[in-house]
Amino acid sequence: MSSAADNELMLKVRDGDLGKLSFLFERYHRALFNFFLRSTGGRDLSEDLVQEVFLRILKYRHTFRPDSQFSAWMYHVARNAQIDHFRKHKHADEFSHDSEEDIFSEIASPGLTPEQAFAKRQETRLVRKALSELPAEKREVLILSRYQGLKYEEIATILGCEVGTVKGRVFRAIRELAEVLDGITGEKAS
Amino acid sequence: MNCEQVKREFPDYLVKSLSQEGSAAIQAHLAACVACREELATLESVWSRLGVLEDSQPSPQMRTRFYVMLEEHQLKLRSQPKGRVTLGDWVAGWWPARPLWQFALGVLLLSVGVGLGRLSVERPRENGEIVRLRDEVGGLRELLTLSLLQQQSASERLRGVSWSSQVQQPEEAILSALLQTLNSDPNVNVRLAALEALQKFSSVQEVRQGLLHALERQKSPLVQIMLIDWLVENKERQAINMLTRMSDEPKVQPKVRERARWGLQQLS
Repeated sequence: MSSAADNELMLKVRDGDLGKLSFLFERYHRALFNFFLRSTGGRDLSEDLVQEVFLRILKYRHTFRPDSQFSAWMYHVARNAQIDHFRKHKHADEFSHDSEEDIFSEIASPGLTPEQAFAKRQETRLVRKALSELPAEKREVLILSRYQGLKYEEIATILGCEVGTVKGRVFRAIRELAEVLDGITGEKAS
Repeated sequence: MNCEQVKREFPDYLVKSLSQEGSAAIQAHLAACVACREELATLESVWSRLGVLEDSQPSPQMRTRFYVMLEEHQLKLRSQPKGRVTLGDWVAGWWPARPLWQFALGVLLLSVGVGLGRLSVERPRENGEIVRLRDEVGGLRELLTLSLLQQQSASERLRGVSWSSQVQQPEEAILSALLQTLNSDPNVNVRLAALEALQKFSSVQEVRQGLLHALERQKSPLVQIMLIDWLVENKERQAINMLTRMSDEPKVQPKVRERARWGLQQLS
């Protein structure tokens, strides 16, 4: 399904054919879930936020314009849902982890030796921790570009800023992540 | 290209969105500049290490929750009048602008209310409006029960089960949702509550059949024992074959086997 097809579906939803939203849900719910999972850390919260995004899409469907791009619009809604959630629950840890076993037990490691599987688990833990230590705005651009596969232009639309700003932020985010990773590895080694 | 310009292109280089010429210009610079080469190597290494966080699969309940929500919205949209006049708009249309008339209308409504109240006290059984309202509330309860049963948290699903007991004559949808909960809810407390709720509707043929089949599927000894007790209480002779199998099955817990043997004696 192309992005033009997405837009067409969303326009139908906007005009009252709500059933068409199911196609968009099937196409995007997993990506959205992983977007929230990587930026918040909790499975239950991530599932709640996906539900909230589709609820808002229905509620604010009239604001979708024919010249909008559905995925950018959806991530814009997603971002607002997340911001509102943390505003409402100020005391909640912004990057809360599920119990570690929950996360790591699901990393399927077919074809890996026990040593390789162990090393992969360690690396996963390390990268997650490093990501959680980045400031939210840097983590956000990394997730959108590295995992959600969005172009810098699309990210700029979602965040409402210049493409150059997004690129600069990605560059600084990776540099900072490299330092954090070095720092964590150094701590462990010493 | 100087170092500053080259670094500005690094984010595009990482996602391979540079043109051939752009890429070539960077390569030319890198060949001569050790510092930029090292910087890019670091960025590339971090970028590739990020790949270790693989995609995760959401729970199947997420899809159910979405479709319940979508259906609610579709129902709501269908029940709206075409001109999109809401109840609020309609009331506002009648509401007079001048305070004196507002007061007069208030008094009028109050007296109509008191009058209606008296009438309904005198003839409660004949009031069709109340029956209709009660039906509507019943319908809402059913909808709420169904959506609670689909919730993520076990406590919400428990609430759903307890709501179901407030529905006087539950529709098939509620009964089958309860049976589904009994058979597949991951939480044993929710399954037990569903069983308790279903027992009230033992007279419904589908419920009897559902409970009979549930015994085969249950793994929790507590639920199994409760089911056996119910079968005995209701003299459900169709269960005899199943109880015979259970009482000889080594995989079944000893306490449950014992209860199954007791159940057999009672039924045969």
